[in-house]
Amino acid sequence: MEQGKFPRHYLEAWGIAKSFKGTRVMSDMNFRVERGELVSLLGPSGCGKSTLLRIIAGLLEADEGAVVLGGREITRFPAHKRNVSVVFQNYALFPHLTVAENVAFGLRARGMAKSATGAPVSEALSLVRMTEFADRPISALSGGQQQRVAVARALVVGPDLLLLDEPFSALDRKLRETMQVELKSLLLDRGITAVFVTHDQEEAMGVSDRIAVMNAGRIEQFADPSTLYARPASPFVMDFVGLSTRISGRVVSSDAGTIAVDTAYGRLSARSDVTVGKDVLLGVRPELIAVEAGENTIGVPLTDVMVLGSKTVLHGTARGGDRILCELPGIRGGLKRGDAVTLGWAVDDTLAYEVAP
Amino acid sequence: MTARVDRVALLAVPGLAYLAVIYALPLLMLLAKSIRTADGVSFGEYAAFFSDEYNMRVLWRTLRVAALTTVLALVIAYPTAFAMSRAKGPWLTVFLVAMVLPMSLGVVVKAFAWSILFRANGFLNSTLQWIGLTDGPVRMLFTETALVVGAANVFLPFMVLPIYAVVRQLDSRLPEAAASLGASPMFRFFNVTLPLTLPGVVAGSAFTFSMAISMYVIPSLIVGERQQTMSMLIARSFLYLRNEPLGSTISAVLLAIAIFVVVFSSWLARRLGARQ
Repeated sequence: MEQGKFPRHYLEAWGIAKSFKGTRVMSDMNFRVERGELVSLLGPSGCGKSTLLRIIAGLLEADEGAVVLGGREITRFPAHKRNVSVVFQNYALFPHLTVAENVAFGLRARGMAKSATGAPVSEALSLVRMTEFADRPISALSGGQQQRVAVARALVVGPDLLLLDEPFSALDRKLRETMQVELKSLLLDRGITAVFVTHDQEEAMGVSDRIAVMNAGRIEQFADPSTLYARPASPFVMDFVGLSTRISGRVVSSDAGTIAVDTAYGRLSARSDVTVGKDVLLGVRPELIAVEAGENTIGVPLTDVMVLGSKTVLHGTARGGDRILCELPGIRGGLKRGDAVTLGWAVDDTLAYEVAP
Repeated sequence: MTARVDRVALLAVPGLAYLAVIYALPLLMLLAKSIRTADGVSFGEYAAFFSDEYNMRVLWRTLRVAALTTVLALVIAYPTAFAMSRAKGPWLTVFLVAMVLPMSLGVVVKAFAWSILFRANGFLNSTLQWIGLTDGPVRMLFTETALVVGAANVFLPFMVLPIYAVVRQLDSRLPEAAASLGASPMFRFFNVTLPLTLPGVVAGSAFTFSMAISMYVIPSLIVGERQQTMSMLIARSFLYLRNEPLGSTISAVLLAIAIFVVVFSSWLARRLGARQ
């Protein structure tokens, strides 16, 4: 490989294209991860996130492009020569082997004598707190335990990269949150570079340093969770990552980076350089909206008031394809369905996207 | 509390009754003939059978042919089952029809078709001579090789279908997981694919072997009287020698082997399946 042709990123998938039965699902995909980073590929099913993961793992061959890992081009390497471990959605543990034999599998595949696998296997099992299950068959384990074994099996071989395909989706909500915290600290402690594939934005935000939001075979935005949430690059990202109030309208004036937009709720302002006469979609995160305060204000009757304990969620009457959603911290009494309220927020918090008319 | 009979279990009654009258009863009567003499119960027929060198040769040949048939069928069936598991739509239909249709053709028709293939001036010999592998015709018909090849063909579906049933259920992510853990294709095959498909191999081998040890029509047509098998010996005892105790004795020996194969294979299948 030509020196300097690729920037020195730890993992780089570069110019990746892939078709299935003549249908392009991905073209000119570029994806970079630094050493020690935890990154998520987030998107709806069919967005290409699993395809990209499988191409990086070597389980699928890209039609075009290259994959570079740790300075080594691995594009044409078969999966077993990449030193990239995968944790599969349903863990894909070997049903004919015990827990310890599953964990030892990668070591034995690398030619380690069966007698030598004992120590690393015990260490890996203790890392995931599964020591006492070593001799159990896989069928005797719960979902969470199976996931721990899958993680131990993937890590024991000392992979250069760990790929996790929807690793939490088979677990119930409570367990999922516990496992996320556990796995994240394990990976951070060991300095493992990992790529998660998920369709769950909370999971992605919880476990990752950076998130690549994918849609229709493209990365729409690749940023840290707070940027992604506060400054989504597109309406798709805004909708996929968190909830928001959405109001559509048309730009009627523009002055020094601030636009005025006519909407079904009156005139609202946003920081944007969209030109006059264009259609725009305005968005605001619901927790940035207050009652009876703010620079942009709208008056709406409430269609629903949900007291959830840590927050109170207000739904306003929607006009057209709009959506009015406001989250107030804590329990807010005194508001009820049918009340006409004024909701307001800061101009700086208003997201604006040019849309096709 | 009164014991309640599962009413669904009653559905087994007609089948059980049929088996009892048509299968178990005559078999028991047959077995009785092998140990009953004018003076009472005796195992003399068995002693006589096992001390006869010719009988031992036939028994050994029968077991050997059955084993070779099983091995040949397995070698052909195992990859076929994988190909079938990948086949979709019309291709799967083609495979299944190719498996099942020859079964309805009848062994006699097949055997005569083979004789065209195997005979001295047949297709195989002409081809071998034409490409220069042999100088003159090779004797194929009436050989044990021809018998094994023919028998493997007849019993192939019974080997393919149980393996196919297991392979079809094999989780395709398991070999992928193995690959991502650094396992070469060879290591994956011997440590993942093969152990997980072994129950199908055991079932198919048990079917094929137990049918091959009791085959009669195929050896009669392919190798003829010169190389007897157990079934031919049985038929000869009953039909030509009119020696019912001898025929019953050989039948009992054959039955014992078949029972052993079935019991052993189901024990093996349970043991393999227990951990999965």
